[in-house]
Amino acid sequence: MVTEHGSAARARRIGRLVIYGSLIALAAFYLMPLWVMITTSLKSLDEIYGGSFIGLPRSVTFEAWSKAWSQACIGTSCTGLKPYFVNSLMMVIPAVLLSTGIGALNGYVLTKWRFKGSNLVFGLILFGCFLPFQAVLLPMAQVLGKLRLSGTIPGLVLVHTVYGICFTTLFFRNYFVTIPDELTRAAQIDGAGFFRIFFSIMVPAALPIMVVSCIWQFTQIWNDFLFGVSFTAGDSSPITVALNNIVNVTMGRKQYNVDMAAAMIAALPTLVVYVVAGRYFVRGLTAGAVKG
Amino acid sequence: MEQLSYAAGTIVTGVFGCVAWFWGSNLILDWIWPSRGAHAGTNILRANMVRPWLFIGPAILFLAVYLVYPVFDSIWRSLHDAGGRAWVGLDNYRWLAGDAKFRESILNNLLWLLVVPAAATFFGLLAAQVTDRIRWGNIAKSFIFMPMAISFVGAGVIWKFVYDYRGEGQEQIGLLNAIWTAFGHPPETWLTIPFGNNFFLMAVLIWIQTGFAMVILSAALRGIPEETIEAAILDGANPWQLFFRIKVPQIWGTIAVVWTTITITVLKIFDIVFVMTNGQWGTQVLANLMYDWMFRGAPDYGRGSAIALVIMALVTPIMVWNIRNARREMMG
Repeated sequence: MVTEHGSAARARRIGRLVIYGSLIALAAFYLMPLWVMITTSLKSLDEIYGGSFIGLPRSVTFEAWSKAWSQACIGTSCTGLKPYFVNSLMMVIPAVLLSTGIGALNGYVLTKWRFKGSNLVFGLILFGCFLPFQAVLLPMAQVLGKLRLSGTIPGLVLVHTVYGICFTTLFFRNYFVTIPDELTRAAQIDGAGFFRIFFSIMVPAALPIMVVSCIWQFTQIWNDFLFGVSFTAGDSSPITVALNNIVNVTMGRKQYNVDMAAAMIAALPTLVVYVVAGRYFVRGLTAGAVKG
Repeated sequence: MEQLSYAAGTIVTGVFGCVAWFWGSNLILDWIWPSRGAHAGTNILRANMVRPWLFIGPAILFLAVYLVYPVFDSIWRSLHDAGGRAWVGLDNYRWLAGDAKFRESILNNLLWLLVVPAAATFFGLLAAQVTDRIRWGNIAKSFIFMPMAISFVGAGVIWKFVYDYRGEGQEQIGLLNAIWTAFGHPPETWLTIPFGNNFFLMAVLIWIQTGFAMVILSAALRGIPEETIEAAILDGANPWQLFFRIKVPQIWGTIAVVWTTITITVLKIFDIVFVMTNGQWGTQVLANLMYDWMFRGAPDYGRGSAIALVIMALVTPIMVWNIRNARREMMG
């Protein structure tokens, strides 16, 4: 009896050990890169080359940050990330608002104004969510060229809005389905028009999914690289493209601290969104996972 | 500055255009078939038949122009020569079949397909299970999830630094080489090791996607009915049995969703390879190969489109499966 007790306790202890062991290993794998990125960005170049890459910085300096922000060179122009950060903002804000707004309208029409062929439309929208963008890259470039938008921020806004609509429509459709039809029908009988119903009933009820949709779109568009690198060049690039260009400068001693600071700057907006509204971020993922 | 104001102008025009269309068309509809007066009833019915199309119409138009047309255009292009003028039939595909880089890309994509979804789902499941059971699990969770917020490019930059190499005898700055040399090995250029370098690239995507798998699976684990677990414990199941025999079978559906979602991401993988090796040293993948043919050097739109369609053909079965699932769930 005693030995059995002992072996059970030992089994439990081994279980604990396995749990903590795997957790520490996982934590190291997931945390080390983040840790190295943050600490490296706060060190001076001499300290990095002096070989203390893993510890805390001996003296914290924001030199690399300011360099990455306003002095680092991309090709021959040494403007830092600042103008590209602005580019990304100019791209992301209208694209998020437009795709969320249109998505909300679409979701509303698809659920509360059912019409013949709405299933087909829905299928088309799902198709848009899954389609590999590679398959549309070249024709898209030509459409942008015909609209005289190639290589411009509005061109990127258009692309991101169009492909964002698929996701946002899905979000809103799945959310509006849960609002009882009786509510909108009653409002209609009371004489409320299309927009009245939309703005007084649907929109107030849809605030949570609106936050989800905005956050989802924001992170997707901010982090996009494929469209940015394919459709823009030079001054009109979004920040992801600029980041890659800064890091790939090969002249002279590699400025690791500037690279890491640049990576941090590029990631900062989405990290802030994630820290402030992580709950909604996760909800977007869960909603998005249904679609894939 | 000029460009900025031009951009702002175009965007404002676009936004106002949308708003004007939605408001205006709705007003006109109400004016043609007013919902009062003698024919109010039929008018409302008629208007309601047209109305959805006014609002969904632009979206359909855009999707047609930007989704359906491009796909057909790509097919058409893949059957033409580099400039898109002369018909070449299946020559581009024949060329693909014989191209060494293409074969390398297909094999690498398959390798990614085998490793990344499995590893990310497995680690995600492990992290979900373990973090649910300890006190500071939520903090661990938020850290494991954090890479999800970083772009693939940013992640590529960070990991390139982790894999950094400096000559023997110098201080190693890259994390991996520092650890490696601390154990007495000579430093390695990780990203050029044949075959192995693929796995170093995959680690980056696994690093990003684990958080996604963890979050979704953790929700599923919490949704498992308490009774089934209690019954298993009463029957004397040990923690391993409890996990693999009771919990995992109940969340197979969610595991499949996570797996396929990551699979689609993997098939399209581009940014990480582009940033870290650009397909050199045997790490080429389809999406980057396509980019090479379409935008680098002398572009060959025929071959580029053919590669794009191969990617699409690979994604399609998973896409169909997922759409079917999604529809079943939503139409319910």
